[in-house]
Amino acid sequence: MARPPRPLSSPSRFLSLLFLLSLLIIYLSTASVLADSHFEGFDADEDDEAVDSVDSLHFSSLRSPPVTQSESPPATAKPTLSEDESAASDPTLPRTSEHLATPPDLSKSSSEGFDYWDEDEFEGVPIVEKQQQQPSEPFKATEDVTGPQDSAGHVSAPTKRSYTIEIVCGSFLIIFVINYFTGKRENENIALAWAAKFATKDSILEKNFSLLGVGEGDDSPLLLKEGQNVFKFYASGRRYCQGLLATMELKSRHDLISRIYNMIVPCKDEISFEVYMNDDAMDNVIFAMAKKKAAKGMQKELMDLQRFAGLLPPPGGRKWVAEEFSVIAESKEVAGDMITEAVLDQVFGEKAIEKFGKGFMSMHFSDQHPGTHSKMLLFKFTLPGVNNMADMTRLVALIPYYIDHVGRYKLSPQARSKTEAARTKAAQEAFKELQNARHEALQKRKAERKKLMEEAEAKLSAEALRKKEAKERARQMKKAMPKMKMTRGH
Amino acid sequence: MSQSSDPRQPSAARPFKPPAVLPQDLPVDYSGFIAVVFGVAGVMFRYKLSSWLAIIFSVQSFANMKNMENDLKQISMGMMFAIMGLVTNYFGPNRPAPQK
Repeated sequence: MARPPRPLSSPSRFLSLLFLLSLLIIYLSTASVLADSHFEGFDADEDDEAVDSVDSLHFSSLRSPPVTQSESPPATAKPTLSEDESAASDPTLPRTSEHLATPPDLSKSSSEGFDYWDEDEFEGVPIVEKQQQQPSEPFKATEDVTGPQDSAGHVSAPTKRSYTIEIVCGSFLIIFVINYFTGKRENENIALAWAAKFATKDSILEKNFSLLGVGEGDDSPLLLKEGQNVFKFYASGRRYCQGLLATMELKSRHDLISRIYNMIVPCKDEISFEVYMNDDAMDNVIFAMAKKKAAKGMQKELMDLQRFAGLLPPPGGRKWVAEEFSVIAESKEVAGDMITEAVLDQVFGEKAIEKFGKGFMSMHFSDQHPGTHSKMLLFKFTLPGVNNMADMTRLVALIPYYIDHVGRYKLSPQARSKTEAARTKAAQEAFKELQNARHEALQKRKAERKKLMEEAEAKLSAEALRKKEAKERARQMKKAMPKMKMTRGH
Repeated sequence: MSQSSDPRQPSAARPFKPPAVLPQDLPVDYSGFIAVVFGVAGVMFRYKLSSWLAIIFSVQSFANMKNMENDLKQISMGMMFAIMGLVTNYFGPNRPAPQK
Protein backbone atom coordinates (compact mmCIF):
# COMPACT_ATOMS: atom_id res chain seq x y z
CA MET A 1 0.00 0.00 0.00
CA ALA A 2 1.55 3.14 -1.12
CA ARG A 3 1.44 5.92 1.25
CA PRO A 4 0.10 9.08 -0.32
CA PRO A 5 2.82 11.65 -0.46
CA ARG A 6 2.16 14.52 1.81
CA PRO A 7 2.03 18.04 0.51
CA LEU A 8 4.63 20.24 2.16
CA SER A 9 2.37 22.88 3.59
CA SER A 10 3.83 25.17 6.22
CA PRO A 11 1.27 24.66 8.97
CA SER A 12 1.69 20.97 8.72
CA ARG A 13 5.42 21.41 8.69
CA PHE A 14 5.32 23.50 11.80
CA LEU A 15 3.01 21.05 13.48
CA SER A 16 5.23 18.20 12.57
CA LEU A 17 8.21 20.03 13.93
CA LEU A 18 6.49 20.60 17.23
CA PHE A 19 5.39 17.06 17.30
CA LEU A 20 8.88 15.89 16.57
CA LEU A 21 10.29 18.05 19.27
CA SER A 22 8.05 16.68 21.94
CA LEU A 23 8.75 13.21 20.76
CA LEU A 24 12.45 13.74 20.90
CA ILE A 25 12.12 14.79 24.48
CA ILE A 26 10.17 11.70 25.29
CA TYR A 27 12.72 9.57 23.50
CA LEU A 28 15.49 11.02 25.53
CA SER A 29 13.82 10.35 28.79
CA THR A 30 12.57 6.88 28.17
CA ALA A 31 14.90 5.67 25.42
CA SER A 32 12.08 3.80 23.87
CA VAL A 33 10.56 4.13 20.46
CA LEU A 34 7.06 4.98 19.53
CA ALA A 35 7.07 3.78 16.05
CA ASP A 36 4.00 5.04 14.36
CA SER A 37 3.88 8.54 15.70
CA HIS A 38 7.50 9.06 14.90
CA PHE A 39 7.02 8.48 11.26
CA GLU A 40 4.15 10.83 10.81
CA GLY A 41 6.45 13.74 10.99
CA PHE A 42 8.86 12.32 8.55
CA ASP A 43 8.35 14.86 5.88
CA ALA A 44 10.94 17.40 5.10
CA ASP A 45 14.65 17.60 5.22
CA GLU A 46 14.88 19.04 8.66
CA ASP A 47 12.99 16.18 10.15
CA ASP A 48 15.29 13.85 8.41
CA GLU A 49 18.33 14.98 10.23
CA ALA A 50 16.66 14.77 13.58
CA VAL A 51 15.28 11.40 12.81
CA ASP A 52 18.64 10.17 11.77
CA SER A 53 20.28 11.41 14.87
CA VAL A 54 17.62 9.99 17.09
CA ASP A 55 17.84 6.74 15.31
CA SER A 56 21.54 6.70 15.71
CA LEU A 57 20.96 7.23 19.40
CA HIS A 58 18.71 4.27 19.50
CA PHE A 59 20.88 2.15 17.38
CA SER A 60 23.72 2.46 19.76
CA SER A 61 21.64 1.75 22.78
CA LEU A 62 20.01 -1.16 21.10
CA ARG A 63 23.19 -2.39 19.62
CA SER A 64 23.78 -5.34 21.86
CA PRO A 65 20.69 -7.38 21.08
CA PRO A 66 21.56 -9.49 18.10
CA VAL A 67 20.31 -8.53 14.79
CA THR A 68 18.48 -11.70 14.09
CA GLN A 69 15.68 -10.86 16.47
CA SER A 70 13.50 -9.68 13.71
CA GLU A 71 10.31 -10.86 15.31
CA SER A 72 10.41 -8.23 17.95
CA PRO A 73 7.33 -6.76 19.58
CA PRO A 74 6.20 -3.48 18.16
CA ALA A 75 7.58 -1.46 20.99
CA THR A 76 11.20 -2.11 20.24
CA ALA A 77 12.97 -1.69 17.00
CA LYS A 78 15.58 -3.97 15.67
CA PRO A 79 17.44 -3.65 12.47
CA THR A 80 17.12 -6.55 10.16
CA LEU A 81 19.75 -7.23 7.71
CA SER A 82 18.35 -10.21 5.96
CA GLU A 83 15.27 -8.66 4.56
CA ASP A 84 14.49 -6.40 1.87
CA GLU A 85 15.79 -4.32 -0.77
CA SER A 86 19.06 -2.74 -1.32
CA ALA A 87 17.43 0.35 -2.56
CA ALA A 88 19.12 2.36 0.08
CA SER A 89 21.81 -0.13 0.78
CA ASP A 90 24.72 1.85 -0.43
CA PRO A 91 26.07 3.50 2.69
CA THR A 92 27.81 6.23 0.81
CA LEU A 93 24.61 7.57 -0.65
CA PRO A 94 24.05 11.17 0.36
CA ARG A 95 21.30 11.78 2.77
CA THR A 96 18.81 13.10 0.27
CA SER A 97 18.83 9.99 -1.78
CA GLU A 98 18.36 8.03 1.38
CA HIS A 99 15.47 10.19 2.14
CA LEU A 100 14.06 9.65 -1.29
CA ALA A 101 14.48 5.96 -0.99
CA THR A 102 12.64 5.73 2.24
CA PRO A 103 9.12 6.44 1.05
CA PRO A 104 9.36 3.38 -1.11
CA ASP A 105 10.78 1.63 1.91
CA LEU A 106 7.87 2.83 3.89
CA SER A 107 5.47 1.56 1.34
CA LYS A 108 7.25 -1.71 1.24
CA SER A 109 7.38 -1.98 4.95
CA SER A 110 3.73 -1.28 5.32
CA SER A 111 3.04 -3.69 2.58
CA GLU A 112 4.98 -6.30 4.44
CA GLY A 113 3.10 -5.57 7.57
CA PHE A 114 6.15 -4.15 9.34
CA ASP A 115 5.38 -0.91 11.05
CA TYR A 116 8.86 -0.51 12.37
CA TRP A 117 10.32 2.54 10.83
CA ASP A 118 13.93 2.01 11.53
CA GLU A 119 14.26 -1.45 10.16
CA ASP A 120 13.52 -0.38 6.68
CA GLU A 121 14.82 3.08 6.70
CA PHE A 122 18.36 2.19 7.48
CA GLU A 123 18.26 -0.95 5.54
CA GLY A 124 21.56 -1.31 3.86
CA VAL A 125 23.23 1.08 6.22
CA PRO A 126 23.11 -0.87 9.44
CA ILE A 127 25.85 -3.14 8.20
CA VAL A 128 28.28 -0.32 8.10
CA GLU A 129 26.88 1.37 11.10
CA LYS A 130 26.85 -1.74 13.18
CA GLN A 131 30.48 -2.38 12.50
CA GLN A 132 31.23 1.18 13.32
CA GLN A 133 29.24 1.29 16.48
CA GLN A 134 29.94 -2.02 18.06
CA PRO A 135 33.56 -1.30 18.86
CA SER A 136 32.67 2.02 20.39
CA GLU A 137 30.26 0.86 22.99
CA PRO A 138 28.64 3.41 25.25
CA PHE A 139 27.14 6.26 23.41
CA LYS A 140 27.98 8.77 26.04
CA ALA A 141 31.67 8.60 25.23
CA THR A 142 32.65 11.42 22.94
CA GLU A 143 32.98 10.07 19.48
CA ASP A 144 35.87 11.67 17.73
CA VAL A 145 35.44 9.20 14.93
CA THR A 146 32.19 10.72 13.88
CA GLY A 147 33.46 14.20 14.69
CA PRO A 148 35.20 14.71 11.39
CA GLN A 149 32.23 13.17 9.70
CA ASP A 150 29.95 15.70 11.28
CA SER A 151 32.19 18.60 10.57
CA ALA A 152 32.45 17.59 6.96
CA GLY A 153 28.75 18.26 6.81
CA HIS A 154 28.19 15.19 4.75
CA VAL A 155 27.31 12.07 6.55
CA SER A 156 27.61 8.69 5.07
CA ALA A 157 26.22 6.77 8.00
CA PRO A 158 23.42 8.09 10.16
CA THR A 159 25.16 10.71 12.19
CA LYS A 160 26.50 10.01 15.58
CA ARG A 161 26.50 13.57 16.77
CA SER A 162 29.54 14.39 18.74
CA TYR A 163 28.60 16.00 21.99
CA THR A 164 32.10 17.14 22.87
CA ILE A 165 31.23 20.76 23.19
CA GLU A 166 28.16 20.12 25.30
CA ILE A 167 29.92 17.74 27.60
CA VAL A 168 32.97 19.90 28.05
CA CYS A 169 31.00 23.06 28.64
CA GLY A 170 28.45 21.36 30.82
CA SER A 171 31.09 19.82 33.02
CA PHE A 172 32.92 23.14 33.21
CA LEU A 173 29.72 24.76 34.39
CA ILE A 174 29.18 22.07 37.00
CA ILE A 175 32.73 22.43 38.27
CA PHE A 176 32.27 26.19 38.28
CA VAL A 177 29.21 25.95 40.47
CA ILE A 178 30.89 23.58 42.87
CA ASN A 179 33.95 25.80 43.02
CA TYR A 180 31.77 28.82 43.68
CA PHE A 181 30.49 27.36 46.91
CA THR A 182 33.78 25.98 48.11
CA GLY A 183 35.66 29.15 47.24
CA LYS A 184 33.04 31.27 48.92
CA ARG A 185 33.37 29.28 52.09
CA GLU A 186 37.16 29.43 52.01
CA ASN A 187 37.12 33.20 51.70
CA GLU A 188 34.61 33.52 54.49
CA ASN A 189 36.77 31.35 56.70
CA ILE A 190 39.81 33.51 56.10
CA ALA A 191 37.88 36.68 56.89
CA LEU A 192 36.36 35.18 60.00
CA ALA A 193 39.73 33.90 61.16
CA TRP A 194 41.17 37.36 60.88
CA ALA A 195 38.26 38.89 62.73
CA ALA A 196 38.46 36.24 65.40
CA LYS A 197 42.09 37.00 65.98
CA PHE A 198 42.01 40.78 65.85
CA ALA A 199 38.52 42.04 66.36
CA THR A 200 36.85 39.93 68.99
CA LYS A 201 37.00 40.25 72.73
CA ASP A 202 40.39 41.03 74.27
CA SER A 203 42.00 41.52 70.93
CA ILE A 204 44.19 44.41 70.04
CA LEU A 205 41.58 46.30 68.08
CA GLU A 206 38.99 45.74 70.71
CA LYS A 207 41.31 47.24 73.28
CA ASN A 208 41.83 50.29 71.13
CA PHE A 209 38.44 51.15 69.79
CA SER A 210 35.16 51.42 71.57
CA LEU A 211 32.88 50.75 68.63
CA LEU A 212 33.62 47.71 66.50
CA GLY A 213 31.62 46.50 63.56
CA VAL A 214 29.50 47.83 60.78
CA GLY A 215 26.09 47.94 62.31
CA GLU A 216 24.41 49.86 65.06
CA GLY A 217 24.64 49.16 68.72
CA ASP A 218 26.36 46.50 70.68
CA ASP A 219 25.51 43.43 68.73
CA SER A 220 26.52 44.68 65.32
CA PRO A 221 28.12 42.31 62.85
CA LEU A 222 31.85 42.76 62.68
CA LEU A 223 32.38 42.20 58.98
CA LEU A 224 30.57 43.55 55.96
CA LYS A 225 30.64 41.30 52.95
CA GLU A 226 30.79 43.29 49.76
CA GLY A 227 31.15 40.53 47.26
CA GLN A 228 32.48 37.06 47.61
CA ASN A 229 36.06 38.22 48.04
CA VAL A 230 35.78 41.67 49.61
CA PHE A 231 35.17 42.10 53.34
CA LYS A 232 35.09 45.29 55.35
CA PHE A 233 35.66 45.89 59.04
CA TYR A 234 35.04 49.17 60.82
CA ALA A 235 36.12 50.44 64.19
CA SER A 236 35.65 53.80 65.82
CA GLY A 237 35.96 55.60 69.11
CA ARG A 238 39.57 56.40 69.80
CA ARG A 239 41.61 59.43 70.48
CA TYR A 240 43.21 61.24 67.56
CA CYS A 241 41.16 59.50 64.93
CA GLN A 242 37.61 59.29 63.74
CA GLY A 243 37.66 55.69 62.72
CA LEU A 244 39.39 52.83 61.03
CA LEU A 245 38.20 50.94 57.99
CA ALA A 246 39.88 47.66 57.11
CA THR A 247 39.20 46.19 53.68
CA MET A 248 40.15 42.60 52.97
CA GLU A 249 40.55 41.83 49.29
CA LEU A 250 40.99 38.14 48.93
CA LYS A 251 41.76 36.09 45.89
CA SER A 252 38.71 35.30 43.79
CA ARG A 253 38.50 31.73 44.96
CA HIS A 254 34.83 31.56 44.09
CA ASP A 255 35.39 32.24 40.42
CA LEU A 256 36.93 29.35 38.54
CA ILE A 257 38.20 31.42 35.67
CA SER A 258 39.93 33.87 38.00
CA ARG A 259 41.37 30.99 39.92
CA ILE A 260 42.91 29.53 36.79
CA TYR A 261 44.19 32.97 35.85
CA ASN A 262 45.75 33.37 39.27
CA MET A 263 47.68 30.20 38.79
CA ILE A 264 49.47 31.91 35.94
CA VAL A 265 49.60 35.42 37.34
CA PRO A 266 50.15 35.13 41.08
CA CYS A 267 47.98 37.09 43.41
CA LYS A 268 47.81 37.56 47.17
CA ASP A 269 45.23 38.10 49.84
CA GLU A 270 45.52 41.71 50.94
CA ILE A 271 44.20 43.74 53.81
CA SER A 272 44.31 47.52 53.75
CA PHE A 273 43.61 49.82 56.67
CA GLU A 274 42.43 53.40 56.39
CA VAL A 275 42.60 55.50 59.52
CA TYR A 276 40.74 58.80 59.40
CA MET A 277 42.67 61.22 61.54
CA ASN A 278 41.13 64.14 63.33
CA ASP A 279 41.78 67.55 61.86
CA ASP A 280 43.60 68.77 64.88
CA ALA A 281 45.51 65.58 65.47
CA MET A 282 47.73 65.45 62.42
CA ASP A 283 50.45 67.88 61.52
CA ASN A 284 51.77 68.41 58.01
CA VAL A 285 53.18 64.98 57.44
CA ILE A 286 53.54 63.28 54.11
CA PHE A 287 55.34 60.02 54.40
CA ALA A 288 55.31 56.67 52.69
CA MET A 289 57.28 53.48 52.85
CA ALA A 290 57.09 50.40 50.67
CA LYS A 291 59.16 47.82 48.90
CA LYS A 292 61.47 49.38 46.36
CA LYS A 293 59.51 48.83 43.17
CA ALA A 294 56.17 49.55 44.74
CA ALA A 295 57.54 52.73 46.26
CA LYS A 296 58.61 54.02 42.89
CA GLY A 297 55.17 53.33 41.50
CA MET A 298 53.52 55.04 44.44
CA GLN A 299 55.64 58.12 44.08
CA LYS A 300 54.66 58.46 40.45
CA GLU A 301 50.99 57.70 40.77
CA LEU A 302 49.77 59.21 44.01
CA MET A 303 49.13 62.91 43.72
CA ASP A 304 50.21 64.01 47.13
CA LEU A 305 53.43 62.04 47.08
CA GLN A 306 54.20 63.32 43.64
CA ARG A 307 53.66 66.92 44.52
CA PHE A 308 55.14 67.22 47.97
CA ALA A 309 57.54 64.37 48.58
CA GLY A 310 60.36 62.50 46.95
CA LEU A 311 62.28 59.27 47.31
CA LEU A 312 64.81 59.56 50.07
CA PRO A 313 68.10 57.74 50.11
CA PRO A 314 68.80 55.87 53.32
CA PRO A 315 70.66 58.17 55.66
CA GLY A 316 73.99 57.00 56.88
CA GLY A 317 74.88 56.94 60.51
CA ARG A 318 71.70 55.70 62.00
CA LYS A 319 69.62 52.61 62.12
CA TRP A 320 67.31 52.39 59.19
CA VAL A 321 64.80 50.10 57.61
CA ALA A 322 65.86 46.95 55.84
CA GLU A 323 67.33 47.15 52.36
CA GLU A 324 64.27 46.04 50.53
CA PHE A 325 62.22 49.07 51.56
CA SER A 326 62.46 52.62 50.37
CA VAL A 327 61.09 55.72 52.01
CA ILE A 328 59.28 58.65 50.47
CA ALA A 329 58.98 61.82 52.51
CA GLU A 330 59.20 65.58 52.33
CA SER A 331 62.36 65.80 54.33
CA LYS A 332 64.82 63.55 56.05
CA GLU A 333 63.75 64.89 59.36
CA VAL A 334 60.17 63.84 58.95
CA ALA A 335 61.27 60.47 57.70
CA GLY A 336 63.53 59.99 60.65
CA ASP A 337 60.79 60.98 63.04
CA MET A 338 58.37 58.54 61.56
CA ILE A 339 60.73 55.59 61.62
CA THR A 340 61.32 55.30 65.29
CA GLU A 341 63.58 53.01 67.17
CA ALA A 342 60.76 50.96 68.50
CA VAL A 343 59.39 50.32 65.06
CA LEU A 344 62.77 49.38 63.73
CA ASP A 345 63.39 46.95 66.48
CA GLN A 346 60.04 45.36 66.33
CA VAL A 347 59.18 45.21 62.69
CA PHE A 348 61.31 46.93 60.13
CA GLY A 349 64.86 46.49 61.23
CA GLU A 350 67.21 44.05 59.64
CA LYS A 351 66.66 41.38 62.22
CA ALA A 352 62.99 41.76 62.76
CA ILE A 353 61.98 41.95 59.14
CA GLU A 354 62.47 38.26 58.54
CA LYS A 355 60.23 37.13 61.30
CA PHE A 356 57.60 39.76 61.56
CA GLY A 357 57.71 42.05 58.62
CA LYS A 358 57.12 39.58 55.83
CA GLY A 359 53.54 40.57 55.31
CA PHE A 360 54.19 44.29 55.10
CA MET A 361 53.36 45.89 51.78
CA SER A 362 53.17 49.63 52.25
CA MET A 363 52.23 52.44 54.54
CA HIS A 364 51.32 55.97 53.63
CA PHE A 365 50.58 58.92 55.92
CA SER A 366 49.21 62.01 54.34
CA ASP A 367 47.40 65.13 55.33
CA GLN A 368 46.71 66.09 51.74
CA HIS A 369 45.09 62.90 50.67
CA PRO A 370 42.91 63.33 47.58
CA GLY A 371 39.38 62.22 48.19
CA THR A 372 36.76 62.83 50.78
CA HIS A 373 38.98 62.84 53.84
CA SER A 374 42.31 64.66 53.77
CA LYS A 375 44.16 63.42 56.83
CA MET A 376 44.66 59.71 56.57
CA LEU A 377 46.98 56.89 57.48
CA LEU A 378 46.98 53.99 55.05
CA PHE A 379 48.48 50.58 55.69
CA LYS A 380 48.60 47.59 53.41
CA PHE A 381 49.58 44.09 54.48
CA THR A 382 49.27 40.66 52.95
CA LEU A 383 47.07 38.27 54.78
CA PRO A 384 48.63 35.06 56.00
CA GLY A 385 46.82 31.78 55.72
CA VAL A 386 43.83 30.76 57.76
CA ASN A 387 45.89 29.07 60.42
CA ASN A 388 48.69 31.62 60.57
CA MET A 389 46.78 34.73 61.52
CA ALA A 390 49.02 35.25 64.51
CA ASP A 391 51.92 36.13 62.20
CA MET A 392 50.31 39.45 61.58
CA THR A 393 50.12 40.54 65.19
CA ARG A 394 53.02 42.95 65.13
CA LEU A 395 51.86 44.45 61.89
CA VAL A 396 48.42 45.11 63.25
CA ALA A 397 50.01 46.47 66.40
CA LEU A 398 51.70 49.11 64.24
CA ILE A 399 48.38 50.74 63.62
CA PRO A 400 47.47 51.98 67.10
CA TYR A 401 51.11 52.80 67.66
CA TYR A 402 51.20 55.05 64.66
CA ILE A 403 47.85 56.60 65.40
CA ASP A 404 49.21 57.76 68.72
CA HIS A 405 52.58 58.67 67.27
CA VAL A 406 51.25 60.80 64.44
CA GLY A 407 48.55 62.19 66.66
CA ARG A 408 51.10 63.51 69.13
CA TYR A 409 53.73 64.50 66.61
CA LYS A 410 54.60 68.12 66.12
CA LEU A 411 56.93 69.34 63.41
CA SER A 412 59.91 71.47 64.24
CA PRO A 413 59.54 75.12 63.20
CA GLN A 414 61.87 74.94 60.21
CA ALA A 415 60.28 71.85 58.84
CA ARG A 416 56.88 73.31 59.42
CA SER A 417 57.66 76.48 57.52
CA LYS A 418 58.87 74.50 54.56
CA THR A 419 55.83 72.33 54.48
CA GLU A 420 53.50 75.26 54.97
CA ALA A 421 54.95 77.01 51.95
CA ALA A 422 54.47 74.01 49.75
CA ARG A 423 50.95 73.49 50.95
CA THR A 424 49.79 77.03 50.53
CA LYS A 425 51.05 77.00 47.00
CA ALA A 426 49.16 73.81 46.32
CA ALA A 427 46.03 75.22 47.92
CA GLN A 428 46.21 78.31 45.74
CA GLU A 429 46.60 76.24 42.63
CA ALA A 430 43.64 74.14 43.62
CA PHE A 431 41.57 77.24 44.20
CA LYS A 432 42.49 78.63 40.80
CA GLU A 433 41.56 75.35 39.21
CA LEU A 434 38.19 75.49 40.88
CA GLN A 435 37.60 79.00 39.68
CA ASN A 436 38.54 78.09 36.15
CA ALA A 437 36.25 75.17 36.20
CA ARG A 438 33.37 77.29 37.45
CA HIS A 439 34.07 79.93 34.82
CA GLU A 440 34.10 77.33 32.09
CA ALA A 441 30.87 75.85 33.27
CA LEU A 442 29.26 79.27 33.20
CA GLN A 443 30.53 79.93 29.70
CA LYS A 444 29.22 76.61 28.54
CA ARG A 445 25.81 77.34 29.97
CA LYS A 446 25.71 80.74 28.25
CA ALA A 447 26.70 79.21 24.93
CA GLU A 448 24.03 76.58 25.27
CA ARG A 449 21.40 79.15 26.04
CA LYS A 450 22.47 81.15 23.00
CA LYS A 451 22.23 78.10 20.83
CA LEU A 452 18.75 77.36 22.06
CA MET A 453 17.68 80.89 21.37
CA GLU A 454 19.07 80.78 17.86
CA GLU A 455 17.35 77.52 17.14
CA ALA A 456 14.09 78.89 18.38
CA GLU A 457 14.58 81.96 16.26
CA ALA A 458 15.28 79.92 13.17
CA LYS A 459 11.98 78.16 13.61
CA LEU A 460 9.97 81.31 13.75
CA SER A 461 8.65 82.92 10.61
CA ALA A 462 10.06 86.08 9.16
CA GLU A 463 7.48 88.35 10.72
CA ALA A 464 7.99 87.03 14.15
CA LEU A 465 11.71 87.43 13.56
CA ARG A 466 11.31 91.04 12.78
CA LYS A 467 9.21 91.52 15.86
CA LYS A 468 11.81 89.83 17.94
CA GLU A 469 14.59 91.91 16.53
CA ALA A 470 12.67 95.01 17.32
CA LYS A 471 12.17 93.84 20.84
CA GLU A 472 15.88 93.05 21.18
CA ARG A 473 16.80 96.47 19.97
CA ALA A 474 14.44 98.08 22.40
CA ARG A 475 15.88 96.07 25.21
CA GLN A 476 19.40 97.03 24.25
CA MET A 477 18.44 100.64 24.10
CA LYS A 478 16.96 100.40 27.50
CA LYS A 479 20.13 98.88 28.82
CA ALA A 480 22.16 101.63 27.32
CA MET A 481 19.81 104.35 28.44
CA PRO A 482 20.33 104.43 32.20
CA LYS A 483 24.04 104.91 31.69
CA MET A 484 23.45 107.98 29.65
CA LYS A 485 21.02 109.26 32.17
CA MET A 486 23.49 108.85 34.92
CA THR A 487 26.21 110.71 33.17
CA ARG A 488 23.87 113.52 32.43
CA GLY A 489 22.96 113.73 36.03
CA HIS A 490 26.54 114.28 36.90
CA MET B 1 53.92 49.88 72.58
CA SER B 2 52.06 50.31 75.82
CA GLN B 3 49.38 52.86 76.36
CA SER B 4 49.45 54.99 79.42
CA SER B 5 45.73 55.11 79.53
CA ASP B 6 42.84 53.60 77.75
CA PRO B 7 42.96 55.03 74.25
CA ARG B 8 39.31 54.44 73.68
CA GLN B 9 36.96 57.35 73.49
CA PRO B 10 33.40 56.14 73.30
CA SER B 11 32.18 59.68 72.93
CA ALA B 12 34.08 60.05 69.72
CA ALA B 13 32.70 56.93 68.14
CA ARG B 14 30.95 57.42 64.85
CA PRO B 15 28.80 54.73 63.31
CA PHE B 16 29.79 53.19 60.05
CA LYS B 17 28.61 54.86 56.91
CA PRO B 18 29.35 52.87 53.77
CA PRO B 19 31.09 55.10 51.28
CA ALA B 20 28.81 55.86 48.36
CA VAL B 21 30.13 54.71 45.02
CA LEU B 22 28.93 56.42 41.89
CA PRO B 23 27.72 54.04 39.20
CA GLN B 24 30.31 55.31 36.77
CA ASP B 25 33.15 54.62 39.16
CA LEU B 26 32.40 50.95 39.38
CA PRO B 27 35.02 48.64 37.95
CA VAL B 28 34.20 47.50 34.45
CA ASP B 29 32.39 44.20 34.29
CA TYR B 30 34.58 42.52 31.72
CA SER B 31 33.05 39.09 31.94
CA GLY B 32 29.57 40.44 31.41
CA PHE B 33 30.73 42.32 28.35
CA ILE B 34 32.47 39.26 26.94
CA ALA B 35 29.34 37.22 27.64
CA VAL B 36 27.26 39.60 25.57
CA VAL B 37 29.81 39.57 22.74
CA PHE B 38 29.91 35.79 22.62
CA GLY B 39 26.16 35.54 22.89
CA VAL B 40 25.60 37.83 19.96
CA ALA B 41 28.26 36.02 17.94
CA GLY B 42 26.67 32.69 18.75
CA VAL B 43 23.28 33.85 17.61
CA MET B 44 24.51 35.50 14.45
CA PHE B 45 26.91 32.86 13.27
CA ARG B 46 25.04 29.89 14.68
CA TYR B 47 28.17 28.79 16.46
CA LYS B 48 27.37 26.53 19.38
CA LEU B 49 30.66 26.94 21.17
CA SER B 50 30.15 30.67 21.23
CA SER B 51 26.79 30.29 22.92
CA TRP B 52 28.23 27.97 25.51
CA LEU B 53 31.08 30.35 26.23
CA ALA B 54 28.55 33.14 26.57
CA ILE B 55 26.75 31.13 29.23
CA ILE B 56 29.99 30.43 31.06
CA PHE B 57 31.01 34.06 31.11
CA SER B 58 27.61 35.26 32.17
CA VAL B 59 27.74 32.78 35.05
CA GLN B 60 31.13 34.17 35.98
CA SER B 61 29.77 37.69 35.86
CA PHE B 62 26.91 36.62 38.08
CA ALA B 63 29.31 35.06 40.55
CA ASN B 64 31.33 38.27 40.72
CA MET B 65 28.33 40.45 41.28
CA LYS B 66 29.00 42.80 44.15
CA ASN B 67 25.91 44.86 44.47
CA MET B 68 22.65 43.07 43.98
CA GLU B 69 20.57 46.01 42.82
CA ASN B 70 22.97 47.81 40.56
CA ASP B 71 24.55 44.98 38.66
CA LEU B 72 21.65 42.62 38.26
CA LYS B 73 20.22 44.39 35.23
CA GLN B 74 23.39 44.28 33.21
CA ILE B 75 24.16 40.73 34.13
CA SER B 76 20.69 39.50 33.35
CA MET B 77 20.93 41.19 29.98
CA GLY B 78 24.10 39.28 29.24
CA MET B 79 22.51 36.09 30.44
CA MET B 80 19.47 36.60 28.25
CA PHE B 81 21.69 36.99 25.23
CA ALA B 82 23.57 33.84 26.02
CA ILE B 83 20.49 31.77 26.66
CA MET B 84 18.83 33.11 23.56
CA GLY B 85 21.89 32.12 21.62
CA LEU B 86 21.80 28.61 22.93
CA VAL B 87 18.10 28.23 22.28
CA THR B 88 18.45 29.52 18.75
CA ASN B 89 21.31 27.20 18.11
CA TYR B 90 19.60 24.16 19.41
CA PHE B 91 15.94 24.69 18.76
CA GLY B 92 16.18 26.85 15.70
CA PRO B 93 14.51 25.92 12.45
CA ASN B 94 17.63 24.56 10.84
CA ARG B 95 19.18 22.44 13.45
CA PRO B 96 16.94 20.76 15.93
CA ALA B 97 19.04 18.72 18.26
CA PRO B 98 18.16 15.69 20.25
CA GLN B 99 19.90 16.85 23.34
CA LYS B 100 19.01 19.81 25.49
